[in-house]
Amino acid sequence: MNDIAAPTIEYGQLAPMLLVFGAAVLGVLVEAFAPRYLRRSIHIPLTLAALVGSFALVLVQVFVSGVPTSPAAMGAVAVDGPTLFLWGVIAALAFVSVLLINDEDNFVAQAAAVPGSADEEDAEIAGFSQTEVYPLVLFAVGGMLLFTASNDLLIMFVALEVMSLPLYLLCGLARRRRLLSQEAAVKYFLLGAFSSAFFLFGMAMVYGFAGSVGLSDINAALPNVGGQEPLLVLGTALLGVGLLFKIGAAPFQAWKPDVYQGAPTPITALMASGTLVAAFGALLRVFWVALGNFDWDWRPVMWGVAILTMVAGAILAITQTDIKRMLAYSSIAHAGFLLTGVIATGAAEQNRDALSGILFYLLVYGITTVGAFAIVTMVRDAGGEAGHLSRWAGLGKRSPMLAGVFAFFLLAFAGIPLTSGFFGKYAVFSAAVAGGVLPLVLVGVVSSAIAAFFYVRVIVLMFFSDPAADGPTVVGPSVGTASVVAVAAAATVVLGVFPEPMLDLADKAASALFVR
Amino acid sequence: MELYVPILVLAVLAAGFAIFSVSIAPFTGPKRWNRAKLDAYECGIDPTPQPVGGGRFPLKYMITAMLFIVFDIEIIFLYPWAVAFDKLGLFGLVEMVLFIVTVLVAYAYVWRRKGLDWD
Amino acid sequence: MRTFIALAANPDYPTLEDFGKDPIWISIIKAVGIFVLLMLGVLFGVWFERKLISRMQHRYGPNRAGKFGLLQSVADGLKMALKEDIFPRTVDKVLYFLSPVIIAVPAFLAFSIVPFGPMVTMFGERTPLQLTDLPVAVLLVLALASIGVYGIVLAGWASRSPYAVLGGLRSAAQVVSYEIAMALSFVAVFLVAGTLSTSEIVRAQSVGGTVSLFGMEFSTPSWFVIQLIPSFLIYVICMLGETNRVPFDLPEGEGELVGGFHTEYSSSLKFAMFMLAEYVNIFTVSALAITLFFGGWQAPWPISLWDGANTGYWPFLWFLLKMVIVFSFFVWVRASLPRIRYDQLMAFGWKVLIPLNLGWILLFATFRALRIDEGNRTLIMTMLAFVVLACFLIYMRFDIVAQRRKREQEAEVAAEFEELGNAPEAGGFPVPPLDLPHYHGVQRKEVSSGTH
Repeated sequence: MNDIAAPTIEYGQLAPMLLVFGAAVLGVLVEAFAPRYLRRSIHIPLTLAALVGSFALVLVQVFVSGVPTSPAAMGAVAVDGPTLFLWGVIAALAFVSVLLINDEDNFVAQAAAVPGSADEEDAEIAGFSQTEVYPLVLFAVGGMLLFTASNDLLIMFVALEVMSLPLYLLCGLARRRRLLSQEAAVKYFLLGAFSSAFFLFGMAMVYGFAGSVGLSDINAALPNVGGQEPLLVLGTALLGVGLLFKIGAAPFQAWKPDVYQGAPTPITALMASGTLVAAFGALLRVFWVALGNFDWDWRPVMWGVAILTMVAGAILAITQTDIKRMLAYSSIAHAGFLLTGVIATGAAEQNRDALSGILFYLLVYGITTVGAFAIVTMVRDAGGEAGHLSRWAGLGKRSPMLAGVFAFFLLAFAGIPLTSGFFGKYAVFSAAVAGGVLPLVLVGVVSSAIAAFFYVRVIVLMFFSDPAADGPTVVGPSVGTASVVAVAAAATVVLGVFPEPMLDLADKAASALFVR
Repeated sequence: MELYVPILVLAVLAAGFAIFSVSIAPFTGPKRWNRAKLDAYECGIDPTPQPVGGGRFPLKYMITAMLFIVFDIEIIFLYPWAVAFDKLGLFGLVEMVLFIVTVLVAYAYVWRRKGLDWD
Repeated sequence: MRTFIALAANPDYPTLEDFGKDPIWISIIKAVGIFVLLMLGVLFGVWFERKLISRMQHRYGPNRAGKFGLLQSVADGLKMALKEDIFPRTVDKVLYFLSPVIIAVPAFLAFSIVPFGPMVTMFGERTPLQLTDLPVAVLLVLALASIGVYGIVLAGWASRSPYAVLGGLRSAAQVVSYEIAMALSFVAVFLVAGTLSTSEIVRAQSVGGTVSLFGMEFSTPSWFVIQLIPSFLIYVICMLGETNRVPFDLPEGEGELVGGFHTEYSSSLKFAMFMLAEYVNIFTVSALAITLFFGGWQAPWPISLWDGANTGYWPFLWFLLKMVIVFSFFVWVRASLPRIRYDQLMAFGWKVLIPLNLGWILLFATFRALRIDEGNRTLIMTMLAFVVLACFLIYMRFDIVAQRRKREQEAEVAAEFEELGNAPEAGGFPVPPLDLPHYHGVQRKEVSSGTH
C-alpha cells in the first residue's frame, strides 16, 4: 500500500481561529456542567476574552511573526494579508456585537417553549435565559474566520456551514415577536440550505473540471484543461449563487429584509457586519484566486448582479416602513457598491487598489452598521423595539443625542464627506474607475444618491416632524450598548476625518494580494 | 470493479428468491374472506384509525436519529484513521484525541440536557 | 516500522489481490453455495435453537418430524407456504409487499465478504473460499445492516397499525444505537490489522507478534479476542442488540407490542422472510465475530498442531464449528436472561457502551503509538496520562452519580413504604384495610380455579 505522510498543520498561524473555536467548545462545556445561575457570568468573560485574544493573536502574527507567504495546513487555509486584516475586523466587530448581545432582554427565556404558552411565561418568571447564545456566537464567528481564510472549496463549505448553522438558530431566539423571529429563522435556514446546496453542486462541477478543490489548483488547471468549459461555467455560476446569497446580492437578496427584521437586533448587527465581511473575503478568494484568469467569463454576469444589487437595494429601501428592513436594504445596496470593487480587476497594481478599497469599506461599513443597530435596540415601546418608521417621528426632539448619533450613522451610510462612509465609497469607486468599470461606478453614484434620499428622509422624520403622543421610549442604554454606540460613532468620525492610517494598513494588507 | 461482481450475483439470487417467495404467497394458500381478519390487529378491539402519512412521531426518535448521524460520521473518520494509524503515528494520535474530545463535549452536552434519556 | 506483525508469506492465505480474478461461473457457484448454505443454516438453526433451549429448560423440544425432529423446520416452512396470505385492508400496498424483500436481501448480501477458508482448488481454478473481498469489506456489512433497518421501518410504517409503527420505530432506534457501539468496537481490530478487508484481517490473526516491553520479549497470541478483549465484549453485547435478540428483543415485546414491526405479517411466506432475515442476521454477526476476533477459518489450538489443518477445504469445517458454538451462545443467552426495559436498553447503548468504547480505543491507540514512535516518548506518555486521567475522571463521575441516584432511589422507596404504612390509601389506590378478617383467617373457604 502506498505510504501516507503525516500532514503538517501550522497551529501558530491558525491560532486566532483555534482560540475562538476552543472557547466555543469550552462554552458548550459550561452549558453542560455549570449551574444555571453561573452560566452567564462565565460565558461573558470567556466570549469576550476569546475575541480579544483572537484579535491580539492577529496583531502578534502581523507585527511579530510577519505575514506568512504560503498557505497553511497543507494548502487548505491561507493566512495572508487580506485574511489577517479581515480577521482583525471580524474579531473587533464580533466583540462589539457581543457587547450588544450581552444586553438584557434581547433573547428568549426558553427557546423550546411555544410562543405565548404557559411554559414560556413560566420560563420568563423563573428568569431563565438561553445562554447557549454565547457559544453559538463564537461558533459563528469561528466559521466567519475560517470562511475568509479558506483556500480550498471543501474547507470553505465547512466554514460556510459552521458560520451559518449557529446563525440560523440565533435568528429564532428573539425575546419579543417570537413568531416573526421563528419565521425569519426558518426562512433563513431553508434559503441558506438551498444556497449551500448550490455551492456544493458548483464545487462538484469545478472539481469535475479541475480535478481538485484547492483554489490554486483550480487556477492552475484553467489554462491546461480543455474541452470541459461547460462544467467550469456551470460550476462558477453555482459557486457564485452560493456566495452571492451570503452577501445578499440581488437576485438572491430576498432573505435579507425578512431575516434582519425578525432576528434579535444584536444578531442582526452581527450578521450585517461579520457575515458580510466574511462572505466578501470568501467571494474575493473564489473569484480572484481560483477563477481570476476566468474573469472574461464571469465579469459580465457580475456586472449585471452588481447593477441589480445597487439599484434594487436603493429603490426598494425607499418603500420600507420598518427601520430594520430599511437597514437591510441599505446593506444590500452596500453589497452592490462592494461588488463594483470585486469586478475591478486588472493588473496586480489595480487588484491591490481594489482589494485595499474593499477591505477599508468592509471595516467602516461593519462598524457603522453595528452602531446603527445598537441604536435600534434602544428605541422601544410596549411591544419591544419600535420598528415602524412612524414611531421614530420627532425622536430628535425628545432625545436629540440619540437621534443625532443615528443621523450621523445614516449620513455615513450615505457616504457624506467627513464620515467614514465617504472614504470607503471613495476608495472602492476610485479603484473601480481605474479598473475600467466606469458605468458601474455611475450606477453606484446614482443609487448612492437614491439611498441618500431615504437616509435623509429618516433624519427629516426624526428632527422635523412632531413626536407622536404615545411615542416610543428611549431606554437608558446599558454600559455595553452605550460603549458600542460610542465606539461606532468614534470610529465613524475618526475614519471620516483622519482615515490615512487605516487606509495605509489596508494597503499594506492588500499589498501582497492573496497567497496561492 | 470485479470485486463487486460476485456481490451482484448474490444480490440477484437473493432478490429473486425473496421476490419469488412473497409473490407466490397469495397463490399457495387458501383464501377465506373475513372482515375482522383484514383489519389491523389490535388484540380484538376496533383498530385505531391511522392518519394518512403515518401521523406524528415522538421527537425522541428524531433526536436518536440525529445523534446516530453524528456518531456515524465519527466512525467514518475513525476507520481510515485506524487503518493508517501506524503510518500517521503521533500526528494521527494527537488529532484523533482532539477530535474525539470535541465530539465528547457535544455528547456531554446532549447527556446533560437529557437528550439521551428515554423517559 | 511495522515489524511486530510478521505475516507469514503463506500462499494459502488469500489477500486482497487474490480477489476479482474468478471467472464468472466460479462466482455463480460460490454465490449459489452461500445461498444454499444460508438456507440450510436457517433450517438447521431454527431446529437447533429449539432443541437446545428445550434441553436447557428440561424439555424435549421438537421430536416428531424426522429423526430428532430434524425436519421440523421444513414442516414449518411448508406450513407457512400453505397458509393464507393476509393482505390487511389499511396497509400501504407497495411497501407492505416490498419490505420483506428489503429486509431479506441485505441480510444475504452481508455474507458475500465472509471468508470461509483459504485458497482452494475449485474445478481446477485456484480461488479463495470466499465470495469476494473489498478494501472496505467490514464497512459493507455495516452498510447492509443499515439498509436492513429500512426494511424494519417500512414494514412497520406500511402496516398502518399502532403496534407495528411503534415496533418499527423502536426497532430502528435500537438497531442504529447499537450499530454505533458495534462499529466502534471494530476500530481496535482495524488498528491492529491495518485493513478493513476480511481476508487480510484473518491473515493478520495467523501469527502472533512479539512485544518488547521493559526489555523483555513477549509473544502475543494471534487471535484478536485475546488482546482486544474489551472490544470483543462490547461487540458481543452489540451483536445481541443489533439482531434484536434476547435480552434486547424489545421490538417484539409480546406483552406490549404483540409482534412489533411484523405484527401485520401474521402468516405466509412474507413472515417467513422476516424469520429468515432474522436468522441470517444472526449468522452474519456470528461470522463477523469469528472473522474479526476468533481467527476466522483457522483451526483452533489443538487441531492447529496438525500441519494440514489450515489447507484445503478443512478450514470450512472449523468455521462451521465456530459458527455452531457462537450460535449456541445466542441460545444460551436466550435461555438465561430476561428481557430488559426499553429505556434501560437505550441508556445502556448510549451512556455505557459508547463512552467505554471511545475510551478503550484511545487507550489502545496510545499504547500502540508507544510502540511505533520511539522518538516522542514523553509526548505520548503525556497523552497516555491525559487519556487515562480523563477516563478515570469520567468513571469517577459516573460512580458518584450512580451512587447518589441509588441513595435517592432507596430513600424514595423507603419514604413511600413509610407513607403507605402510615396511611395505606395514600398511594391513590383503593386499598382494603389491612385488618380485614379474611387476611388472617379461616372464615372464607378457598375457591379453586378449577380442576387441573
